[in-house]
Amino acid sequence: MIEVQNIYKTFLVPHRVQALVNVSCKIEAGEVVVVIGPSGSGKSTLLRCLNHLEAADSGKIFIEGIDILDPKTNINKLRAEVGMVFQSFNLFPHKSVLENITLAQKVVRKRTKDEYLDKAFYLLNKVGIKDKANVFPDQLSGGQQQRVAIARALAMDPKVMLFDEPTSALDPEMIGEVLDVMKNLAMEGMTMVVVTHEMGFAKEVADRVIFMDMGAIVEEGTPEHFFTNPENERTKLFLSQIL
Amino acid sequence: MNQPATIKKNKPASYYAWVGIFFLCLAGLIGALYYATIKIDYIWRWYRIPQYFIFKEKVDIRSQVDGKITEISYENGKAIIIVKTIGENKTYTVPQGDLKVSKGEYVNPGYVLAFYEKWKPGILLQGLWLTIEVSAIATLFGILIGLIGGIARLSSNPAFKWASITYIEIIRGSPLLVQIFIWYFVLGTLINTILGKYGINPIPSLWYGVAALACFTGAYVAEIVRAGIQSIHRGQVEASRSLGMTYAQSMRYVVLPQALRRILPPLAGQFISLIKDSSLLGIIAIRELAKATREVATTSLQTFELWFVCALLYLALTFTLSMFVQYLERRTAV
Repeated sequence: MIEVQNIYKTFLVPHRVQALVNVSCKIEAGEVVVVIGPSGSGKSTLLRCLNHLEAADSGKIFIEGIDILDPKTNINKLRAEVGMVFQSFNLFPHKSVLENITLAQKVVRKRTKDEYLDKAFYLLNKVGIKDKANVFPDQLSGGQQQRVAIARALAMDPKVMLFDEPTSALDPEMIGEVLDVMKNLAMEGMTMVVVTHEMGFAKEVADRVIFMDMGAIVEEGTPEHFFTNPENERTKLFLSQIL
Repeated sequence: MNQPATIKKNKPASYYAWVGIFFLCLAGLIGALYYATIKIDYIWRWYRIPQYFIFKEKVDIRSQVDGKITEISYENGKAIIIVKTIGENKTYTVPQGDLKVSKGEYVNPGYVLAFYEKWKPGILLQGLWLTIEVSAIATLFGILIGLIGGIARLSSNPAFKWASITYIEIIRGSPLLVQIFIWYFVLGTLINTILGKYGINPIPSLWYGVAALACFTGAYVAEIVRAGIQSIHRGQVEASRSLGMTYAQSMRYVVLPQALRRILPPLAGQFISLIKDSSLLGIIAIRELAKATREVATTSLQTFELWFVCALLYLALTFTLSMFVQYLERRTAV
């Protein structure tokens, strides 16, 4: 489904940082992959490279066989198939919850009114905030906003969902409601790449865990392997610090 | 916010004393001005001012033929005069006025048959209207130029970006007066001469004035638009792009609607400036409000009254605009 081959990414501003160093990985359809690692390890950058919000400097990224770094690839068409959920939600503050979910359906997918409204209400129901359709994002709690953001991404019927620390900006009591939505999504067979610090979620839901440090993938494996007998020293150190 | 609306704070006596001082100063200033005008024997004649806004014009109806008036009839308050000539009969219709002739009279060409009075807008009203017209058109084009300029300024394409920077810097770095001269005397001469060579009528100076104002305002609006767009969090673009929207869609549906709300106050300030700056157009013979006032002031010699009236009219325009923008702000508040 997703194949990353030897990508490099260096940021020059504000100062030179090697964010990704020779990263390769593969994500199969239906797989839930959790990416963990200390901050600054490049996990968010890797995720953002997958839908071309950042362009990798070199290497190749294929999504369903399409080379996304090829300048000839229609990147907008590709992004419609790759949903993304951000740490800071990034809901459109000038649009109601319903409009947030229908906007891209209208202008990108060109769906009819019946289609996009059906889809929107189905998803609002699914993420558990059916009664908030007509309120504006700033009237919602953080957890509710993030669930709207998930519904917004799902409305495009993406083939993959990318989650960039979806619970990091939330108050502790709201993390659960967002993780529940994600768990349900995983059980339905959605392909997911999740950058998170929620080790409980990784243990419970992940098919595979990738540990990154200093812009490189240090270790990857099943959650059992990962949390019971990690091999790499850096992994052990990281896990001992957070568990 | 949750305080009861009826809460009343007792203000100290000194507060009212200072209010009194304010009004005293104001009255003193006006009094001193009035006293000074008396000193130089200026006679205030406010009653002469309304005629420059609206006045009654006397219109004569004159016979164009030799002949005899054979019939005068009235219909719906209009008088119909029929003059019998050698050839065909000539009919004149007079809207509710005084007839100067009676039945059976002989008339010749130029003879006044009747006259009536008609309300006509005075020169100040015409000037005010022209100011509104010029400002409105320049505002419209200013927004258009500013929007394009502001987006081009943020483009990564050097052709767009540098064109926008050059335009903004040139316009903001030179006086509007000079720009109006360039538009009228340089570009105007060039364009009208070339048009003349192809037998096309020259473009009136009004349009060069409007162009100068629109381009001038456009540069400032472009900077306001750029700042507005940049003030929208990067996450908004990322979120919309990650949903598959193109750059244009993301701008149109997500960034610009938010940016426009944010830039409404500075934009209003810019357009208030534009109304005031339109007073410079008098120098290229566009008879807007200030120019009209100058003309009336030189002929009527009621200089003091007229310039105060002129200032008040500008104030009325700008105040109305700022009220309108405040209303918009309240309505679009997020």
